[in-house]
Amino acid sequence: MKKILAAAMILVLLATMLTGCGNGGTANKVSKEEDVIRIGWIGPLTGDGAPWGQAELNAIQMLVDETNAKGGVKGKKLVLSHYDNRMDSVETTNAGRKIIDQDKVVAILGTNSSSASIALAGVCESSKVPQIATTATNPAVTVKDGKARPYTFRVQFTDPQQGTIMANYATQELSAKTAAVLYEIGNDFSLGVSQFFEQYFKENGGTITTIEAYKSGDVDFRAQLSKIKGTNPDVIFIPALYKEVGLAANQARSLGINCQLLGADSWLTYDLFTVASDAVEGSYLVGPIDLKDPILDDFKARYKTKYGFEPGAEGGNAFLAHDAFMVLIDALNRAESFTGEAIRDAIEATKDVDCLTGKISIDKDTHNPVKDGFVFKIENKDFKFVKRVKF
Amino acid sequence: MLQQLINGLSIGSIYALMAVGYSLIYSLLNFTNFAHGVVVTVGAYLGFYALTFLSPKLSVAIFISIFGCGLFSVFYEVVTYRPLLIKGTKRLYLMIAGLGISILVENLIIVVIGGRFKAYQGVGATETIGIFGVNIGVVDFQILIISILALIFVQFIIEHTKAGLAIRGAAFNFDITSLMGVNTEFLITLVFMLAGALAGLAGIFLGIKYTAYPQLGALTTKAFISAVFGGLGSLPGAVVGAYLLGISETLISGFISSSLRDIFSFLLLVVVLLVRPSGLMGKNIEDKA
Repeated sequence: MKKILAAAMILVLLATMLTGCGNGGTANKVSKEEDVIRIGWIGPLTGDGAPWGQAELNAIQMLVDETNAKGGVKGKKLVLSHYDNRMDSVETTNAGRKIIDQDKVVAILGTNSSSASIALAGVCESSKVPQIATTATNPAVTVKDGKARPYTFRVQFTDPQQGTIMANYATQELSAKTAAVLYEIGNDFSLGVSQFFEQYFKENGGTITTIEAYKSGDVDFRAQLSKIKGTNPDVIFIPALYKEVGLAANQARSLGINCQLLGADSWLTYDLFTVASDAVEGSYLVGPIDLKDPILDDFKARYKTKYGFEPGAEGGNAFLAHDAFMVLIDALNRAESFTGEAIRDAIEATKDVDCLTGKISIDKDTHNPVKDGFVFKIENKDFKFVKRVKF
Repeated sequence: MLQQLINGLSIGSIYALMAVGYSLIYSLLNFTNFAHGVVVTVGAYLGFYALTFLSPKLSVAIFISIFGCGLFSVFYEVVTYRPLLIKGTKRLYLMIAGLGISILVENLIIVVIGGRFKAYQGVGATETIGIFGVNIGVVDFQILIISILALIFVQFIIEHTKAGLAIRGAAFNFDITSLMGVNTEFLITLVFMLAGALAGLAGIFLGIKYTAYPQLGALTTKAFISAVFGGLGSLPGAVVGAYLLGISETLISGFISSSLRDIFSFLLLVVVLLVRPSGLMGKNIEDKA
């Protein structure tokens, strides 16, 4: 009896090992190695960032299918592998190794967060596989020690741009003289944006009353907000993720803080309003894209036909994933061969590729895109486009 | 200053609900129940679904969270801890089993319900009362009152009922209490029920204030520190520790630095443990042996 049981256990183990290999999505279906180009996507499918990751993956999967239906790239079909990173740096490193060593991808799209993209940059560099980050905004994602990281690119605008746009907008358009900042320690995005906001707010003649911090996983900000209330600022800049923004905004209002709140692109999701119903009304934020821009309609319609709902409720991720994909396809068409090095060289030479967020060129010295930022105001639980800011 | 004290009290009262659960189980079984955090998460989700699908009344949701989490605690105790206790395994293995439960349930929630947060609607999480220039959230006030009532209730059970006497006896010496004819299995079930019920109460409050999400249980780390701070195994100690930690956290972030808050809180813990190794109100280790 015991032997039968042991045999059965071994069978079960073997079965799980075999099925476990299927994680790479469609990778097993195509047999002839030379006829395909393998590309990868890494991003969050579980955890706080899941809505963003799912939108990106949906968009890219759709574009891969569309490209293949039209005959692929240079006659070769695209094969997409994907991994969940839970927006965690360690998970990202593991996923990066797996996707390069096991799935043999030649380029990676993602990730959406700065910390994870920086972690992935190390893996990409050592394996010589180029990476195009979708919505990561920290300068260190593409630049290290003043030089562009050779294998990392992005299609999103950067923290310096976001922080600068908000600081300029606050001092010039909202005539704010004093500002307080609430940011997340250990989050490269949050820290980066707040540093540039602080720098430009001061350069424009404003005063930063206090800079308060919280840790990842914190849910109560009343201690920090009470301190901010004591300094009585004109505006509070909160470059945080939407859940923290929602909680902080609620807590600020319940402490009797009525001043204007300013935010960054991480606010740009309707989920924000399920936490902070009225608390964020009248706030301003900067985003990478105007979600109601008619230029997006065609893409939205195709997405809706495939998935049954329009992208955009979760923010700009689906559109930036589209842009990252477009930059990659453009590079693949120009690349001399389908090796990581050749594709890297082609991405670096990207010039005026038609994308949803405008024409994208890649700056050779920073690997950042050259494009615009958009300022929004929150009105009636919606993001109302106010101004386009050129850089 | 007053505002920060109020903030600290409201944070402390939730820490207290969770810390008492750690201390209850530690006092009886001498191990730290690392599955406690996930019970809080379950409580937050139960409360959310009760409010969404059953009844918009908060009292109904609170009852369901308390009762559901009490049952859930007893369930995992019977399924995992009891077989291990009967085999007489080391306490270390119980802790590992507890960690296993918490990882399992957290990931089950991610798979079944999803990783996104669930925000409670229409429970007035942002309404406030202003007194002397200090703003107190209505929900915070309710939480403070209900927490204190719940803690008094548990203290009453422990001090003034027959079962409570048996728990105190078993906490002093488990084997002898068992030899005296007390059904210790029933005692363990009862203690898990109480700890689970408190965790459920904490869970629904956390859900109202901070939304329900799979990693919510991680907040119990602070409650565990409170329990150690006050003396593991001592119920009044856990409560005092929780309020002290809540207040010191808000005062530190308000008057020293919010980025150094946790460093200061943990330093405080280290200092207390250096001076009084068994915590503020813990019994001496010799007494317990």
